[in-house]
Amino acid sequence: MTSEDTQISINDLSFDIEGKTLLHNTNLSLNGDGITVFLGANGAGKTIFLKLLTGLLTPCSGSITFQGGSLSVKTCAFVSQEPVILRRTVLKNMLFVLEKITSEKSTLAKELLSLMGLDKKEHQNAITLSAGEKQRLCLARAIITNPEILLLDEPTANIEPNSTTLIEKYLIQKVRSSRKIFFVTHDINQARRLADEIVFIHTGRVIEHSSAENFFENPKTREARNYISGKIN
Amino acid sequence: MNDISEAFVSSLGLILFLDAELLEIILLSFRITFYAVLISSILGIPLGAFLASTHFKFRNTVVSILFGMMGLPPVVVGLFVYLLFSRSGSLGWMGLLYSPTVMIIAQVILILPIVCCLTFQIIESLHTRYHEFFRSYRIAKLKSVIAYIVDSRFELTTVVLAGIGRSISEVGAIIIVGGNIDHVTRVMTTAIALETSKGNLDLALGLGIILLTTAIVLNGFILFLRGKYLKTSGSTI
Repeated sequence: MTSEDTQISINDLSFDIEGKTLLHNTNLSLNGDGITVFLGANGAGKTIFLKLLTGLLTPCSGSITFQGGSLSVKTCAFVSQEPVILRRTVLKNMLFVLEKITSEKSTLAKELLSLMGLDKKEHQNAITLSAGEKQRLCLARAIITNPEILLLDEPTANIEPNSTTLIEKYLIQKVRSSRKIFFVTHDINQARRLADEIVFIHTGRVIEHSSAENFFENPKTREARNYISGKIN
Repeated sequence: MNDISEAFVSSLGLILFLDAELLEIILLSFRITFYAVLISSILGIPLGAFLASTHFKFRNTVVSILFGMMGLPPVVVGLFVYLLFSRSGSLGWMGLLYSPTVMIIAQVILILPIVCCLTFQIIESLHTRYHEFFRSYRIAKLKSVIAYIVDSRFELTTVVLAGIGRSISEVGAIIIVGGNIDHVTRVMTTAIALETSKGNLDLALGLGIILLTTAIVLNGFILFLRGKYLKTSGSTI
């Protein structure tokens, strides 16, 4: 497989709703591995972009290709900002997303829960977990489906710091090497900690795309400079 | 006033000494209610869940019709079922008129829209939270409908309770299709209507007390179950 095949190509992608353009014609070529962070102020269009990548939204125009073919939901797992927890035990939440439950998958589910610090709570009703624990469960549930691409929409926005640390550590140490991660955040420090490459979105337009190092050391646009310096939130 | 207090005391006697006639009427009422609610729940809950979680061309029309049917006048339903099952009706050959079976059918027609629409309302709000998750994990339609039902099981107990309430207190339809035949199709509500018109207030009051007690006990039981669930799950439903 050539390096071009492992890239994610976005061609003329746009998304309108009720006559308002939320994502303007976007052309990008993203790395097929590592962590790509979508950075931008609230309402910039980061989540829209992520949902277009997931296939949860259909673009008004353009296409997304991955490994030479179209990017399909079969290759993706999506974790939203608000954890979606089913009213059943933690372990049953994990197993729900599987088409077929095998003993290997059950063991894997327990291992993933253990990595997420939830091994002692696997038989607990998942609704009673804390916000951070719920989000950790959502992440573990996404991993068990073995996706090629993991899409995370501000997964640490409303959770306690120890859960944020655990999730970041897990993503960097265990997930980054084996699958592509798209991570939406408006936390610059988190972007610095996680990102291999940055896509900076401002009012529905991708105005900067570069390696994380380049972006933070030498932002090319005024908007990016303002955002990094905290003038835009 | 004396008549009422005498009738009240007399009715308590009938209940305490388990009057055979009274017992027969009560058991038939419970049997008809049980089957009517069971059938309505088996059909109405999955249908309501399906409608709440699926978008198709005439969905809004179907939902509007079902909501309209929640207020079906029982006597009209009774008349419709009567015509259907009378000897000259299209289902007359089944010979079900004036039987408990046809009373159950009439009640299912009345209760099914209630169960379906209340389920629809409960699951529609759950669908708002779950549908993106289900789509992103490519959860099959049947599996998602089952998940909606399982996850709203405690709210759905209220739906079943509403069905029981409607069924056990219904009189208009079942008196037409059942005929209020002694030892065959006489249930609590039809018996109360008959005994009151005959001036036999003790039996009518006895049945009324049991009807009220049943409703209170059932409501209390469901509230107890919900409370227990809220305590153990920490849910805010």
